[in-house]
Amino acid sequence: MLVIALTSLAYASILAIGCAAITLLYTSTRVFNFAHASMVSWGFYLTFIFHKLTLLLPYLLMPLAAVIVGFYGIVIYLSVVRRLIHSKASEITLMMVTLGVDFVLFAFLNILIDFFYYNFKWDIKNVNIVLRDPAVISIAGSDIKAIYIIAPITALLLLFLMHLFLTKTNTGIAMRASIESPILSSILGIDVDKIYVLAWFIGGVFAGLSGSLLTMLMQGSSTIGSDIVVMYFAGSIVGGLQSILGGLFGGLLVGLSERLLSYSLSGILPWIYSYRFVIPLSMLVITLLVYPRGLAGLVERK
Amino acid sequence: MIEEELFHVLVNIILNISIYLILSLSLNIETGFANIPQFGRLTAALVGSIAVGGIIGRVAAYLAGLPIGEEFVRNNARLVTEVNKYLSMNPFVSASLLILALITAVLLGTLVGLLTALPALRLKEAYLGITLLSFGEILRTFVYNYEPIVGGTLGVMIPSFFVFTGQYEVFASLLFIVLMAVTCIAIAERISKSPLGRVMKAVRDSELAIQVYGRSVIRIKIYAIVIGSAMAALAGALYSIFPLVRSSRADAFDRYNWTFLPWAYIMLGGVGNNLGVALAVIVMSIARSLISIYKHEITNYLFNIDATWLEFILMGLVIILITMFKPQGLMPEKPAFTLPKSKIEEIRKRVLEEKATS
Repeated sequence: MLVIALTSLAYASILAIGCAAITLLYTSTRVFNFAHASMVSWGFYLTFIFHKLTLLLPYLLMPLAAVIVGFYGIVIYLSVVRRLIHSKASEITLMMVTLGVDFVLFAFLNILIDFFYYNFKWDIKNVNIVLRDPAVISIAGSDIKAIYIIAPITALLLLFLMHLFLTKTNTGIAMRASIESPILSSILGIDVDKIYVLAWFIGGVFAGLSGSLLTMLMQGSSTIGSDIVVMYFAGSIVGGLQSILGGLFGGLLVGLSERLLSYSLSGILPWIYSYRFVIPLSMLVITLLVYPRGLAGLVERK
Repeated sequence: MIEEELFHVLVNIILNISIYLILSLSLNIETGFANIPQFGRLTAALVGSIAVGGIIGRVAAYLAGLPIGEEFVRNNARLVTEVNKYLSMNPFVSASLLILALITAVLLGTLVGLLTALPALRLKEAYLGITLLSFGEILRTFVYNYEPIVGGTLGVMIPSFFVFTGQYEVFASLLFIVLMAVTCIAIAERISKSPLGRVMKAVRDSELAIQVYGRSVIRIKIYAIVIGSAMAALAGALYSIFPLVRSSRADAFDRYNWTFLPWAYIMLGGVGNNLGVALAVIVMSIARSLISIYKHEITNYLFNIDATWLEFILMGLVIILITMFKPQGLMPEKPAFTLPKSKIEEIRKRVLEEKATS
């Protein structure tokens, strides 16, 4: 039971980091990022590939993988999104264009995988390095893996850092201003374009980090991002798509309900575990029907 | 041998074009006309497939005097073989079952459209899109795991409703599907020119203006979703009864093929323009089919890189480039003429003459 609870918490924290990324991009540039799926997959695979190359502990390589995905974010913004924002494209158009980006990123990830598979004969079609995760301590006969501690702490740390960044630094305050009103802040001399580049970088880093942490918790293939991307969407919408804090909480709630709730209900209703995907999605639908702007509507400061 | 291969290539291309034509037109009615971000196109298509495999499949088994309960799912392959024997002896029954199957699919599609529309339409833009997407995922996960509907992970076989055409089964069913696709183009064009279609487009252009004129925006959007879902259910049903597919499985209805591709097609063809959408479907379906057929040859040229990924790059680039450089699509939407041009000309002349005489 302890291990189940800790796994759920780790999974929920990883989801939360990704949801924060989606929320950040939506609040800053009004883009609901479909490319999130492939960015997560890239983080997932880059960590694995670096680990294969260096044989270092995966945790040491995660920041590198995340930063690389962060640069993808910058490239996506500069090459595609910026032009559309300038031409005042609708939210739906922006969503669709990131879907196109998602296909391209997905294809290139698979080409990279094929390259290693055929030319270096690597066993890479499936990532399974969960067992490389060292056990920290052992409580009551069950091993406590490092990920159980690292994932929640990373999520908390990111929350703390983002809070500091947004309230204490000039750039952070400029970012909040640009989110509130791009026109006013550009009048005050803030380079909104640069702020958006930064937002896309952070969004990419978070998505990549979320994917790379997943390597220690799940096994999967290049489709891992699109397999669970609906959970990320659900988390960020339950969180309200308005503040990064809301995104983190939404992700946490969705992750816990998918894992922990379905596990605890499976004691009474044994069949429920196969339907665990349905729980968070139904939660999303119910949340939206009751509070059409997500849970953030409840705590919004007047 | 080569002729046979060519026949298969052609069948593949024509089937793809027809199914995606219906699917994309249905999406065009919802997204192009009424501006609903329908990211859950697979919901209705899956329901159409369930109508054929889960409901009409059982009706056929019942008529053949076979069990339709748990047995139907567990011994599906054997039962459907027996149903096929029965159907081949009763051509009239199989033809009427075919019609019944399509009617059931359309009715269930209408119902599911209504069920998704009623709660969802309170939401806007991204929220609405993701909610519709979630409806699709919920239904798919449920059907995939709940065996009594269409056999869960294994799926069910679908009886051959075209068995009475003998050795021309593939050809006859293909012809039938093409006919249905052409009918759908006609229906979509008719809707586009009808008062309903023009109100839908007005809702898309300005909800406020339509409210000022005393129309209910929600009601128009519900009409759009219901019509679109009925059409998409038809596409799902037709795909499932095609002789080379003939099965109903939840995992066949994935997001990429049943939601995102139709989106790519309508963006390429021109949102709101049925004929543009048809053009895009034809061009892209041929391109996709060719990539999948000559996969091995292309792979050899490309240093062993699997050609499947080329398709993703192609689709991705099409979406990106079209939205960035030609957001109107290949064939931008034109104002719809409710009367033929010759008639308008005739009326104009008559009015002018009347003016001249008076």
